[in-house]
Amino acid sequence: MLPADCSRRLVAELRDALDSCAQRQRQLERSLRVSRRLLRAWEPAETPVPEPTPGPETDEKVPSSAFTACSPSPQDLKELELLTQVLEKAVRVRKGISKAGGDKDPSVKSESLAASPATRASTRLRASGWTGSHASETKPPRGIRQTRVPAKDLSERRLVSVENPTSMGRGARAAKVEPRHRSQQIVPLAAPQAREVFTLKDKGILLQLPMAFRKAASQNSRLWAQLSSTHTSDSGDAATTAKNHFLQKMQTTSGWPSSRLSPAEVEAEVGRLRKACSLLRLRMGKELTADPKDWMQEYRCLLTLEGLQALVGQCLHRLQELRTAVVEQQLGPWPEGRLPRASSPCGGGADTIRSPPLLLYSSTQELQTLAALRLRVAMLNQQIHLEKVLMAELLPLVREQEPLGPPWLALCRAVHSLLCEGGERFLTILREDEPAD
Amino acid sequence: MGRRRRRRVDPADAARALPEAIAVLTRTLPTGPSPETFRRAKFDRPEAAPALWRLLFCVLSPMPADGASPSLALEAQARSVKAALRFQGYPRRALAQLPDDGSQGGRELLLALAWLLARGPTLEQLLAQSRVRLGDEMPVCECESLASPGPAVPSVEADGCVDTRHLQWLMGKLRFRWRKLMASQQEQCALLGKIHSYTRGCHSDRSLGHLSVTETELLRDPEGGQQDTVLGACPPEASQPAFLPEIPAQGAAELELVVRELQALQEELQAAVEPRRAAWEARVGGHGPEWSASRRALQEAVRQDLVALQWAWERGGGLTQPHEPHRLVRTEAGAPEGRGLQATEVIEVLRSREACLEVVLGQLQGQCQQELARLVGTLPGLIWIPPPGR
Repeated sequence: MLPADCSRRLVAELRDALDSCAQRQRQLERSLRVSRRLLRAWEPAETPVPEPTPGPETDEKVPSSAFTACSPSPQDLKELELLTQVLEKAVRVRKGISKAGGDKDPSVKSESLAASPATRASTRLRASGWTGSHASETKPPRGIRQTRVPAKDLSERRLVSVENPTSMGRGARAAKVEPRHRSQQIVPLAAPQAREVFTLKDKGILLQLPMAFRKAASQNSRLWAQLSSTHTSDSGDAATTAKNHFLQKMQTTSGWPSSRLSPAEVEAEVGRLRKACSLLRLRMGKELTADPKDWMQEYRCLLTLEGLQALVGQCLHRLQELRTAVVEQQLGPWPEGRLPRASSPCGGGADTIRSPPLLLYSSTQELQTLAALRLRVAMLNQQIHLEKVLMAELLPLVREQEPLGPPWLALCRAVHSLLCEGGERFLTILREDEPAD
Repeated sequence: MGRRRRRRVDPADAARALPEAIAVLTRTLPTGPSPETFRRAKFDRPEAAPALWRLLFCVLSPMPADGASPSLALEAQARSVKAALRFQGYPRRALAQLPDDGSQGGRELLLALAWLLARGPTLEQLLAQSRVRLGDEMPVCECESLASPGPAVPSVEADGCVDTRHLQWLMGKLRFRWRKLMASQQEQCALLGKIHSYTRGCHSDRSLGHLSVTETELLRDPEGGQQDTVLGACPPEASQPAFLPEIPAQGAAELELVVRELQALQEELQAAVEPRRAAWEARVGGHGPEWSASRRALQEAVRQDLVALQWAWERGGGLTQPHEPHRLVRTEAGAPEGRGLQATEVIEVLRSREACLEVVLGQLQGQCQQELARLVGTLPGLIWIPPPGR
């Protein structure tokens, strides 16, 4: 058994690690639910997917509203109205398009869709060819609905909401009667299973972002660009001098010497020095394992090692300075203790002033590799941190214990497993006894 | 544009500019205090103080705006604001002397706000934090690795002594969680890939080409009542580590850790250098002038080498590591480059980082191995059989 304070610290560290994993898992699962839902057929779920029970941590927000089934008729009717209006507009626009011979709207498919009934089949084929097979997802179309499909696709393309019109099954069947611009057939008010479901796989290419959204998005990026350009042109402006003047005044009225480092700066620098330590250690390892073949290489190795030694000395010196700075800070009038840890979010800094940069990937495989590597790096970082903590706690225990009997050996074996094998494997210790005669 | 205005600011302009500026501020700042609040705070009226404390709390803690974080009492917020300002190096003592209950201090808090705005791109950061992320974003830096997820809840069992077996069990549990995480992550990437390719050509912005999950969600459920699905959609990785002000100070402990590590490193280097230097000195002698020229050349080369190494930690990395999440965009292989960061590049960097970290971990484990062998080796009559697979 380990002593109480040691136990407490180690268990706390391991629990921290477990919790941060759990948090990532929760976030991933949220994203997974959303993505899966998008890839299923787009109709309101009659039976909402059961929500996995959230963990004991209370900051989980349960997106239960994501799975509410479609609401009863009043909303249906309202949506139907909206749908009707949009379809009417689509008809008008559609006429306009076919007259104008097509515009450079992103869906050049509108052109092909507008062409002739003959393309209906090809559209469907194209959609299915694109995605492989769709048979499993949509019901086999019946003859009459074949002609209805392109019109519906068209209307869907224009729709802001791709809510399945068939959701208004109850008394709102007029939605299906729309294609007045071309096929004059009256679509039979189909029985429920004739519903045509929308799947991203088949018809995703037909989606289009609503105009209002597009306008807002482009305005947004214009404004960010403006903001970024004014920011970069700010240097030397009257505003900057005024700011500096103000900051200086604040500093002088405080009564403290202006060279004080803030705790944030100290922490940042300690972080850099920690990184320095690991880089220096890595470099040392490289030099020590290298095999010098001639005097030049030998000399170079020696010089490098001595150089590394000097750098380590510099880092230690700097840490000493930081230590005194920290002590000075403690003497201030501020309340002791609790300081925030990560006070600047990732993404802070002047770089945030533009629309998010792009990360281009070319295949799912590539994306998966990228994500897997990120996780692996995060995991290794965590493992290294835990290793250091375990070393700091457990090695002294092994060193201190004098009695070298079986309990100590058991401890050694356990510590070895934890520190050298990540807790996965164990070694065997055999004691050589005198052979019994 | 870069217009450099050198003319003096007209006082009349300035007088007009102030109310405008305050109006903009009230719209931009998180809790949206009214201009009247600012005015009252300027005169240090007590009724303005709580609003200012809350405002500073929102400004200083990078919490997501979706209200997922538990709301704290005014007193807790006030204490947290003081701590955060201290952390950033706020120079005035008067702030520390304000009562914790948040009943006073409007004027001082106004000064603090001004200080924050003057020091850095605070407004832009606030805007960037609260902006709606439309794309499927993936961070490209490592900042999120070790953040504590929430308030450090001391669990009940931790109060007693535990056995090493409990630790082993916890580590096994951790390994399992990572495996599960990896599997979920792969699935999510596969789904993302599908959504991106199914919506190819749909985006009005040509450079993006396809829709993101958020945008597709928008089309599926335009009613928008499901705020949480929009915000909960992707990114595949966590956006920001959750920050709650109760996390205890880590600074001093970390400093000591680093000092110890560097000291250990120093000892090892000394042990490596001394014999080599001695051996070298013994060999030197009796060489001609070309000797010293080559020596100088080597010295210079090593010096530059080490300077480059130093840059690696002082400037934060080799290639200018961008610090913000990037939007994932699926392209055809061989598409024109220059639009953004290529996944292949990031993969390269990550692989080398991975290799680096594996070496470090291996070194640490090796150190432990040696230490334990040394301690056990003092005992005669023991055979130490390492586990298979090593």
